[in-house]
Amino acid sequence: MNVSLTNRNDYLIIGLQGRLDTLQADAVEKKMLEVLGQKHERIVIDCKELDYISSSGLRIFLIMQKKMMGAAGTLKLCNLQPSIQEVFDMSGFSMIFAIAPDLETALQDQ
Amino acid sequence: MEENEHTLSLRLSNELGELSRLQEVIESLPGRMNLPPGMIMPINLALEEAFTNIVNYAFNDKDPHAIGVDITRREKRLEIRITDDGRPYDPTAREDPDVALPAEDRKVGGLGIFLIKKIMDEVVYRRENEKNILTLIKSLPI
Repeated sequence: MNVSLTNRNDYLIIGLQGRLDTLQADAVEKKMLEVLGQKHERIVIDCKELDYISSSGLRIFLIMQKKMMGAAGTLKLCNLQPSIQEVFDMSGFSMIFAIAPDLETALQDQ
Repeated sequence: MEENEHTLSLRLSNELGELSRLQEVIESLPGRMNLPPGMIMPINLALEEAFTNIVNYAFNDKDPHAIGVDITRREKRLEIRITDDGRPYDPTAREDPDVALPAEDRKVGGLGIFLIKKIMDEVVYRRENEKNILTLIKSLPI
């Protein structure tokens, strides 16, 4: 799994590429906690190239949402592939995240 | 790896690294068993959750253990049987998380077994000959 970081329009864009499964989860969680430690107020996670997610990946998303909410920050997701969207729907995660159809929409202030 | 017309049997060790092997096998199922390609992701997810759970929680010792995975296709039905010799544990008895809660009230973790139940049509547990046998059944569209 590849994690890319880009700053744009007051947002930090975190791009996830590949599989976020049990084998990748520890490294990704560590990276995410490090990013959260930098106190960004607005984060978008771009899931365009996220091909697979299991509960160990969902767990990281939930930790991030809790921490961002606790810090009164904004966390959005965008570009979920249909199979990923399905997992979010199943787990109720579609309701606890702001999910934009694409990056441009996510970067607009709401 | 043993294989006949409709069954694929794997013997994995109790290490998370085996997930890569599991993934490879699941990705080969459309060719081997004519599984619709759209089923790869959900089947992979259900198996990852079941396997990870066993590796992380089933064994009290640090010894190597074999975990059996038998994947059988019978007409429009896919049956996956996962067998381990760990302590008795019935994942189907676990209470489902409340997926309607807002983020601040959601517990971190506990989603794996719930996802298995959501993906599969039937999840059956039995304890037999000192072994846990978890059977996951999915009806196929074709």
